[in-house]
Amino acid sequence: MEILKLEHIRKEYNQSELSVIALHDINLSVTEGEFLSIMGTSGSGKSTMLNILGCLDSPTRGSYYLDGEDVAKFKDEKLAEIRNKKIGFVFQSFNLLPKLSSLENVELPMVYAGVSKKVRHQKAMIALEKVGLEKRIKHKPNELSGGQRQRVAIARALVNEPSILMADEPTGNLDSRSTVEIMEIFQKLNDDGTTIVMVTHEPEVAQYTKRIALFKDGSIIKDELVKDRTLVGRSVV
Amino acid sequence: MSLGECTKSAFRNVFSNKMRTFLTMLGIIIGISSVIAIVSIGNGSQAAIEKEFESFGTGSLTVSLTGYNNIETRDLLTMDDYDMLKEIKGVRYVNPTYSGRNTYIKLLDPQETKSASVSGVTADAQYIDNPTMLYGRYISQNDVDMKTNVAVIHDTTALKVFGYCNESVLGEKIKLKTWKGTGKYTIIGIMENTNASTETAYSDEFPATVILPISTAIRLYNNKNLSGFSILIEDLEQTEMMKERIMTALEQFHQNEDKYYIQDSSEMVDSINSILSYVTLFISFVAGISLLVGGIGVMNIMMVTVTERTREIGIRKSIGAKNKDIKIQFMTEAVILTGMGGLAGLVLGIGFALLIGHFAGITPVLSVEAVAMAVGISMGIGIIFGVTPANKAAKLDPIEALRFE
Repeated sequence: MEILKLEHIRKEYNQSELSVIALHDINLSVTEGEFLSIMGTSGSGKSTMLNILGCLDSPTRGSYYLDGEDVAKFKDEKLAEIRNKKIGFVFQSFNLLPKLSSLENVELPMVYAGVSKKVRHQKAMIALEKVGLEKRIKHKPNELSGGQRQRVAIARALVNEPSILMADEPTGNLDSRSTVEIMEIFQKLNDDGTTIVMVTHEPEVAQYTKRIALFKDGSIIKDELVKDRTLVGRSVV
Repeated sequence: MSLGECTKSAFRNVFSNKMRTFLTMLGIIIGISSVIAIVSIGNGSQAAIEKEFESFGTGSLTVSLTGYNNIETRDLLTMDDYDMLKEIKGVRYVNPTYSGRNTYIKLLDPQETKSASVSGVTADAQYIDNPTMLYGRYISQNDVDMKTNVAVIHDTTALKVFGYCNESVLGEKIKLKTWKGTGKYTIIGIMENTNASTETAYSDEFPATVILPISTAIRLYNNKNLSGFSILIEDLEQTEMMKERIMTALEQFHQNEDKYYIQDSSEMVDSINSILSYVTLFISFVAGISLLVGGIGVMNIMMVTVTERTREIGIRKSIGAKNKDIKIQFMTEAVILTGMGGLAGLVLGIGFALLIGHFAGITPVLSVEAVAMAVGISMGIGIIFGVTPANKAAKLDPIEALRFE
């Protein structure tokens, strides 16, 4: 089943008199259970693509079907609701709130979804267990390592049971050990049925995914399945 | 996001920078505390003044000359007017207003004297002024008729002259000295000084009160001109009609016009209250300006807070916070900031009121309205001055906000 489908997506930025075309004519579809990486050099349009996919930005033209709804035409309020319910974000710089504990950070999306305190606590605990941080719930972000912070962020992204997980260079700020840890979590989640779209510029990281879309100058120039995929904790297939 | 969640997180943010929070609230604290102090002191003095007028007798009319310009000898009020006025239909009691000036009481130490305020009264005065007798009796009709050398004094006067105030003061004599001569008077009664608290505070400025029979007082000062009368009428409902009737009688008696002025005590209370409320209004206006300045301070700090927390706003938006959620969050913080300032100001204001009241001899009266107003105004300031920063926060673009370092 198609989770998301882009049809003729175009994005222009108007800076004074100069109009920059960030995305040309993007057609892309992602089905349930896929693990897609979007690759490209800086300026290739991959970040713009992720912002649109994550409903943080709207395309200038084209249609974006998420779970069958054309979200390209949605306004601010409706987009916020989509981000809350259907999309889970993982960022390069973690983007946790520094004053809140791990547990409170994970609970935050549910606060905006209007979930009761008790349910919030239960679900946040389950999400933190999934990423192996059930013993770090009271810690503030600055008391955790980079890998642990990213795991809290993943727990936060998963907690509202989104249709799709969006990751923007999730291992960009991590050492190689933590990178493997995070990719292991992603692969496990994917095995359990979570659809993931990840932006990266590192080919080794992309090797952990199932499919790579390569961006250049605002267009997809290559879209193919990963051969010799790296699998963590298991013998290479 | 529920309001409870919002409040909790707002408190956390407000308390995370205590010094800044305190300084921001200072303007509100000063404004609210001055309003509370002024209003409760104002209410307190109003209540005190009303009480004082009550002791003069409610519903009493005061007759006086309109002034001292264009007053001829025939216009002056004397005991002849008294005899005439008390016969008017509807008049219950009449008491002349007669006070002697430049009078001194000899004190314990024969060398020392104390200024005295001497009033001449008729027996009716006790029904108009309602004095509380502590010892002995009031001036009687007989005293007035016989011009006896007797005096009624305040308890505070007794303390000043004799150093004590009990039954044994009765029968003692006081010596009054005027420019016309001196006289000795036997004390027959001691009455309570209803103004005691104010007078003790300024004991040196307040002359000692001595009450003599009107006839005795006229003889002492050798001056038969009265400054006016207080009149108690039978039916308070007919105040206006009685004022006219008394005025007509006086003008016929003296064959003149527009020389007298009749005021009822409620009018006096009203006029004093209106002066008082103008003073309160003026000072409240000044306090209002301080609240305005405080509010602008809150707005300024909220603007800074929004900029500082741009990234947080971006994060919250990326995980699903709506513009409305962000707006409410910052509004709540502003309202909590000013609301807490208001409460602190309330407590401080009550403290100021008690302190000022203690030194001025006024019991401050704190009304529910004043408290509700203080809390309401401070929170209102939070809403008014919180809107702009909160809107600024709500309108931030999530992508830009997430990039903010």
